[in-house]
Amino acid sequence: MTTVAHPRDTRPYDPADISSRAFWSQTAAEREKTYAVLRAERPVSWHQPVEDMLMKDPNDQGFWAVVRHADLVEVTKRHEDFISGEGIVMESMPQELLDAGQGFIAMDPPRHTKIRRLLSSAFTPKQIRRIHDQIQANAGRIVDDIATRGEVDFVPEVAALVPMHNICDMMGIDEADRTKMAYEAQFAGGWNDPELMGDQEPLGRLFEAMLYLGELAGRYIAERRRNPGEDLLSNLVQAEVDGERLTDDEIMSFFGLLTIAGNDTTRQSTSHAMKALTDFPEQKAWLMEDLDGRLKGAVEEMVRWATPIMTFRRTASRDCELNGQQITHGDKVVMFYASANWDTEVFDAPERFDLSRNPNPHVSFGGGGIHHCLGNQLARQQLAAIYRELLTRLPDIEVSGEPSYTVSTFFHGVNHLPVRFTPER
Amino acid sequence: MRIVLDENKCSSLGMCESVAPNFFEVGDDGALNLLNPTPPEDRRALMEEAVAACPTSALSIEE
Repeated sequence: MTTVAHPRDTRPYDPADISSRAFWSQTAAEREKTYAVLRAERPVSWHQPVEDMLMKDPNDQGFWAVVRHADLVEVTKRHEDFISGEGIVMESMPQELLDAGQGFIAMDPPRHTKIRRLLSSAFTPKQIRRIHDQIQANAGRIVDDIATRGEVDFVPEVAALVPMHNICDMMGIDEADRTKMAYEAQFAGGWNDPELMGDQEPLGRLFEAMLYLGELAGRYIAERRRNPGEDLLSNLVQAEVDGERLTDDEIMSFFGLLTIAGNDTTRQSTSHAMKALTDFPEQKAWLMEDLDGRLKGAVEEMVRWATPIMTFRRTASRDCELNGQQITHGDKVVMFYASANWDTEVFDAPERFDLSRNPNPHVSFGGGGIHHCLGNQLARQQLAAIYRELLTRLPDIEVSGEPSYTVSTFFHGVNHLPVRFTPER
Repeated sequence: MRIVLDENKCSSLGMCESVAPNFFEVGDDGALNLLNPTPPEDRRALMEEAVAACPTSALSIEE
């Protein structure tokens, strides 16, 4: 079925609300009710611009919502029709922020291909195996710090520290800079969250965070140019693309991307997994019967369940068609990963946290295509490391109170998650 | 059976290497090396899995 093409300014909006602040303030289970209707009846639908935009954008007339697994995979793979260079979040952003904060995630070929290959060398399976012991040691040290306490807030004391230490180890960031750096990175995706923002003005605060990260990066880049070491930043300052060194601005934008993408994703998956292991005690018991043998598959379900990034946006580079809808050049096209990960065409009983799920073709790392998550093997390794440590040393750890979730259209965040356990002796 | 790599598509993510580390390796320079471009017939299932794992469809099997 092909519907009539409507120009953007007169195209009727879908009646389902996925644009309001109220929608994005719901829990994932509540949002899923709306996605289920769209998946069944209107898989590619046109919606009002998202509420609470970062900036007034008079040209923003709305977005297409892509909610089915198969369509999401298709959009991801059609990177010539659906480009990233005009932004990758639902909201419009000033060009300076796109340049500063999104690095090669918001680039298109051919530049994307070259830059990405350069960074890939730090994330290859061989490289991740090399730092395996370091990742496990970081997990051990995080559990050391909570083990005797019996009760902690899992997000700041565990989940946030896992990626923070690993990413900072890779980049060669000093202990003293780590906490502030991870804190500032939250503002890159946290503009809708009342707890994080308080009464700060979102766009101004976002600029402030990027300025802080830029200055921090600048300091490290200058230092590594003088004294190169073995870390990722040293590799970047020495690398050449087409015979040219990367500029400080380019390296800073990778620094921003790695800080944000590295911290705010694994943190969420680690937190949601803890909640799920508490809510599905039979799954936790099953996992612990053979932790070594079952952890690898279990991590896949943890990542599906968490869907730490809920949306990515593309922009149509030309008029084209998507599952029967006529898309117009310049339209925003938003992929809904949580919806695709709950698509019953692909997943049997998606509402069940099933650690033995196999195959598990979740799209939490992307639907394939050129922007597929660079850090996917690092993320998998980190989740396995922290749960190996937690479930071995604090086997009765469980959520002991209500979690508080982040309000965001982008990160599926958890701000607080109280847990309790029998203290280690 | 021959493994064919399209270098213009490859983004060196190493998904193939995580499936079949004896046949694929992303080097420290970020380029993917085919360690054995003509794998034996009894490894066909593994090769198909590695080719399918590529998010950018940079790998294919030629007979």
